[in-house]
Amino acid sequence: MDPPAGNPSVVAIWAAIIGVTLTALVTRLSFLVLGERARLPPRLESVLRYAPACALAAIVVPDLLMAGGELALDWHNHRLVAGLCAAAVMLATRSILWTIVVGMGLFSALRLWL
Amino acid sequence: MSTDTPERALPATTDAALATRALREGAGEFMPAALGVGAWGLVTGVAMVQSGLPLWAALAMSLIVFAGSAQLAALPLIIAGAPLWLVTLTALVVNLRFIIYSAALRQSLQHLPAGRRVLLGYLVGDVPTAIYLQRLRHAPGWPGSGDYLLGLSAANALVWHVSSLVGIFAASSLPRDWGLEFAGSLAVLALLVPACRTRPGLAGAVVAGTVAVLGHGWPLRTGVLAGMAAGIGAAFIVQSSLGARRAAAT
Repeated sequence: MDPPAGNPSVVAIWAAIIGVTLTALVTRLSFLVLGERARLPPRLESVLRYAPACALAAIVVPDLLMAGGELALDWHNHRLVAGLCAAAVMLATRSILWTIVVGMGLFSALRLWL
Repeated sequence: MSTDTPERALPATTDAALATRALREGAGEFMPAALGVGAWGLVTGVAMVQSGLPLWAALAMSLIVFAGSAQLAALPLIIAGAPLWLVTLTALVVNLRFIIYSAALRQSLQHLPAGRRVLLGYLVGDVPTAIYLQRLRHAPGWPGSGDYLLGLSAANALVWHVSSLVGIFAASSLPRDWGLEFAGSLAVLALLVPACRTRPGLAGAVVAGTVAVLGHGWPLRTGVLAGMAAGIGAAFIVQSSLGARRAAAT
């Protein structure tokens, strides 16, 4: 099997680390440093509020719904089954810890015994 | 006026004592969340190593970036050799929520010197912000707020760094075929669920997820980016129509 297309170089990894760090710094310091001088238009603020939901969904949904590059919407997709149960746990308990424990436990059980 | 005098007459050490107390209070009130943050840090550490990042890179990323969900989002892109602009843009979208946090935090921290605000801004995370804003709702204008937030954030940073280091070193001695990187997906899912409580949030997530699935095979993993953009657009439309309906009802 071929390695993934990129196989990132040392320079590429460092550049990525610096790039990601800058995004965290700029966003976290934005209003704390600018203070009262800056104002966020209310419409923009409401859009920003929903950005995390969109970003997280775009990352995790393909992870759960797809297997080997194909849609896999059935009980044989262990990630989907474990993910749905983990989401239910999160809704019920609001505990990140329990969500990961139950999801990982179920995923491992399905992988080992089915 | 005369009622002010006894307070002014208190020794100068009172300020320091109050600051220490607020700091300790913050660290103490973080503790119930420590298990969750610890699990999240552990999972991020494990996921970084198990998805193929070299040990040095996992260490550098964990210690320098200090933003778990951006790390987990950027990780598959870095591994796949995606271009720098795409990695950075993806991390930026995940981090956009920090702009909201910093706007929400600034009023109560305005009185602090710039250096202290930068320190707090660098250290602050999702959990400390949530606990802090909850507390400030009940005690607005509290003079110890900056130290309280510092206590929360320092405890959060300590738990995060220790647990992700443990995750990184444990992961390099764990077998790759256990599928432990799935814990990273579960952690992202755990953040996603509460973000979907509002109708625009849910609509945005559904659209973002659908577009990301449709664009799965696109070059440079641009499907993720397209999903984010489409989701934000959908959230905006739902938000606007809800606002219009509310305006029509009144």
